[in-house]
Amino acid sequence: MATAPGIAEKYIEETLAHEQTSLWGDAWRRLRRNRLALVSSVFLMLLIVVAIVAQFWTPYSYYAQGLGPIYQGPTAQHWLGLDQSGRDILSRIMLGAQISLKVGIGTQLVVIVVGVVVGLVAGFYRGFVDTVSSTTINIFYGIPDLLVALTLVLLLGRSLGIIIFAIAFTQWMTMARLVRGQTLALREREFVEAARSGGAKASKIIFRHILPNALGPLIVQATIGVPMAILFEAFLSFLGLGVPPPTPSWGAMAADGFHAIRIAPHIVLAPAIALSLTLMAFNFLGDGLRDALDPRQKR
Amino acid sequence: MFTRGALLYIGQRLVLIVFTAVAVSSVVFLGVHRLPGDALLNERRPDPAAEAALLHYYHLDLPLPEQYVRYVSGLLHGDLGESYVNRGVQITPLLLREARVSAEVGTAAIVFTIGLGVLLGVIAAVRQNTWVDYLATTTSIIGYSMPNFVIASLLFLLFGVALYSWTGGALYYNSGWTGNYGTLDQILVPGFALGFPYASIVARLTRASMLEVIRQDYVRTARAKGLTNRVVIVRHALRNALIPVVTILGPLVIGIVTGSVVIENIFGIPGLGKEFANSILNRDYNIVIGLFTFYAIIIALANLLVDLLYTVIDPRIRY
Repeated sequence: MATAPGIAEKYIEETLAHEQTSLWGDAWRRLRRNRLALVSSVFLMLLIVVAIVAQFWTPYSYYAQGLGPIYQGPTAQHWLGLDQSGRDILSRIMLGAQISLKVGIGTQLVVIVVGVVVGLVAGFYRGFVDTVSSTTINIFYGIPDLLVALTLVLLLGRSLGIIIFAIAFTQWMTMARLVRGQTLALREREFVEAARSGGAKASKIIFRHILPNALGPLIVQATIGVPMAILFEAFLSFLGLGVPPPTPSWGAMAADGFHAIRIAPHIVLAPAIALSLTLMAFNFLGDGLRDALDPRQKR
Repeated sequence: MFTRGALLYIGQRLVLIVFTAVAVSSVVFLGVHRLPGDALLNERRPDPAAEAALLHYYHLDLPLPEQYVRYVSGLLHGDLGESYVNRGVQITPLLLREARVSAEVGTAAIVFTIGLGVLLGVIAAVRQNTWVDYLATTTSIIGYSMPNFVIASLLFLLFGVALYSWTGGALYYNSGWTGNYGTLDQILVPGFALGFPYASIVARLTRASMLEVIRQDYVRTARAKGLTNRVVIVRHALRNALIPVVTILGPLVIGIVTGSVVIENIFGIPGLGKEFANSILNRDYNIVIGLFTFYAIIIALANLLVDLLYTVIDPRIRY
C-alpha cells in the first residue's frame, strides 16, 4: 500500500513533465510537418512583401509605355519582357499582386463579418432569421455566381471596392452555412449548457463559448475562399470588367496578351503563372490548415 | 422504368422550373429596367420623332407594369422579345441556336470532368499513399488552382503553336467555329480547358469516398468470394463511392456554365457564354434577361437530372 502514493506522484510528475500543448499549438506542430503548406506560406509571405514593395517601388513605371520594342521577350533589362504597349511586365506583375491580394483578403474580411453574423444568429436563435437566411442561401446556390458578380459590377461600376463587394456578395453563403452548422452543433454541447445554467448572457455564450470553438473551420474556409476570390477577380478582369486600366490586374494582363499568344506567349504566361502559383499556394495552405486544425478529417 | 410516383415527381419539378424561370427573369427584368442607359442611348439619334418611334417599337414607352405583363406573357409563350442592338433579331431562336453550340462544348467538358476525375480518383484511392496517389492528388490541386483561361492558353500554345511547328503546319488546332457544328478539335480542346479544373474536384471527391467505401465489409466479402480486383473496384466499390460524386454534378453544371463565358470568348465559340459577355458589354438588356432565364432553366433541368440519377445509382432512393 505504501507504494501507491509513489506511483501516483510519479504518474502526475510524468504528465506534468510533458509540455502542455494547446489546440493551436498542436495545430501549428502538425502544420509545420506539412512541407507543401510550409513552402506555400513562405511563398505567400514573399508575395505580400512584393505587393508592399510595389506600392513604393517597381523597376519601371507600371504605366509607362514604349520602354522598348513592343512584344519583346525577356531581356536583362526587362526580366519578364514587354507587353503590347511596351510596358514592363515585371513591374505590372508586382502591382498586380497587390490587386489580387487586396481582392482576395478584402473579400474574405467582408465574407467573415457577414457570414459569421448571419451564421451565429441563424444557428443560435433559429426562428425567423434562420428561415429567411437559409432560404436566401438555397436560392443563391442555384444561380451561377460569376454571372451575378458580373452583373453587379456592370450595374455599380468598376472600382476595387465594388469588385470586392460583388465577389463577397456571391461568397458569404458558404461561410454563413458553415458557421450556422457549427453553432447548431455547439449550442447543444455540455459546456454551453453549463455556461447557460451558470447564468451567462447570450452574448457571452456566443462570443466566449461558441465562436472560439468554431474558429478552426472558419479559418480553413476563409483560407480556401481567398483563392476563389482572386480567381473571380481574374475572370472579371479577363472579360474586361475588372479594375479599370492602367491599373494592372493579372486577369486583364492575360486577356491583353491573348491575341498575340502566337508571337509573344510571355505576355500571357507571366500573369498566368503568377496567378496559378498564388492560387496553388493558398489551396495547399488551406489543405494543410484543414489537416492541422481537424486531424480527424484527415484522409 | 419510372413508377407513377416518379413521373408525378418529375411533373411537379417541371412545373417548378417554369416558376423558377419566370421568377428569375422577373428579378432581372426589374433590375435591368432600373438601370441608367440603354442600348438605344448609345446611338446617335438626332430626331426626337425617330427616338419616340424606336421606344414605341420596343414598347418602352409603356408604363413599367404593362411592359412587365407583356414580357411575362411573351415568356410563357416562349418569346423572349427582340434584340435592342440588332434590330429584328428574335432572341429565342438566337439563344436556342447558341445553346446547342454551348451544349456541344459543355458535353465534352462534362465527359472530361467525370471521366478524368473518376479515373484519377479511383487510381489514387486504390494505390493510396504510393507515388501514384501523390501524383494524382497533386495534379488535382494544381488543376483547380489553374484558372480555365490559363489552361486554355497552355492548350493553345501546345496544339496551336507547338503542334504547328512540329508537323510543319500539317496538323494544328485553329480556334474558332466553322460551320454549323464544331469539328472534333473545335469541341474537344475548349471542352478540356472547361472541364479540367472541375475534373480535379471530382478526382478529390472520388478518392475520398473510394477510400471510405473500400474499407467496408461488403467489399471485403466481395474480395473473399474470390472476385477479381477489377470487378470488386468497379462493380462493388465504385458504384457506392459515386453517390457523393453525383451530389456535385449540380454545382458542376453551374461551374461549366460560368466557365463557358470565359472559354467561349477565348476560343471564339458562338455560344451562350460569348453572347452573355457581348450582350452585357453592348447593354443589349433584352438578351441579358433572356440569357439569365435560359441559364435558370438549364441549371434547374440539370438539377432534376441529377436527382433522377440518384435513383439509378442508389436504388434505395425513390421518389
